[in-house]
Amino acid sequence: MTSLVALGAGIAVLTGAGAGIGIGIATSKAVESIARQPEASGKISSSLLLGCALAEATAVYGLVVAILIILLLK
Amino acid sequence: MDAFVEKLVDGLNEELECETVFSIPLGNGHSIPVFESVVVTWIIIVALIVISKLLVRNLTIDHVSKKQLALESGIGFLRNFFEDALGEHGVRYMPYLMTVILYIGVANVIGLFGFKPPTKDMNVTIALSLMSIILIEYAGIYKKGVKGWIKGFAQPVAIVAPINVLEIFIRPLSLCMRLFGNVLGAFVVMELIKLCIPVGVPTVFSLYFDIFDGLIQAYVFVFLTSLFINEATE
Repeated sequence: MTSLVALGAGIAVLTGAGAGIGIGIATSKAVESIARQPEASGKISSSLLLGCALAEATAVYGLVVAILIILLLK
Repeated sequence: MDAFVEKLVDGLNEELECETVFSIPLGNGHSIPVFESVVVTWIIIVALIVISKLLVRNLTIDHVSKKQLALESGIGFLRNFFEDALGEHGVRYMPYLMTVILYIGVANVIGLFGFKPPTKDMNVTIALSLMSIILIEYAGIYKKGVKGWIKGFAQPVAIVAPINVLEIFIRPLSLCMRLFGNVLGAFVVMELIKLCIPVGVPTVFSLYFDIFDGLIQAYVFVFLTSLFINEATE
């Protein structure tokens, strides 16, 4: 039972992969556009931060689900 | 291995539960419990008030001291940031947002001083996000009037109205879970690192998880709130 719970929690945390890919793509594009237009770096980084925060939310939901699985099914 | 899991689960449970420091008796057998997060929040309030009182003493126009210069550049940075994010109609909500960024920033890094961060208690993040969504909707009603606010749900086309109504509930939920999940997640990762390698390595990671991540989350929270206010008042 414990091992199944651990497996479930591990699968829930896999949501982090999506967030990682998303943030990676967003950051690479932001770096590209700052290199192309250094004067717009302020606006680019603030919208990058917004996108990263939204992409990261999925990873956090995965974490919360994993914690709930560990605590409630233990 | 089982001992490890036991220890982790105990640690998690301890962090998720809010400890009651003392109770205020009401007389009829009931009492109001006062949680640890509330007490730590009081400590933060007192510390912030004392620090701001000390910082604004002896401000002058000429012969500016180093302290005043640092204060002015800090406030100037925050003011520029909020003016950009809030837009021209939202500037009147700036003092509230500055208070919130100071509070969350201090609350996230207060773990370094041996206190339990209040933001690790979900009640605190729920309260903060409820305050945010009430302010966002109030800003919309204040700017456009009740009719305009209701009409705003049917923008840009009437068919998206259900999604716009759902957003009232999704926004605070996401703000609350983001702050709570990040603080708790950072804590869990730090505990795991401490269990594996107790010496040296945790210090390096603590720089990222305790200081950088905490400040970034404070920034993201107020940034998203001010963007939503900007959107609501447009």
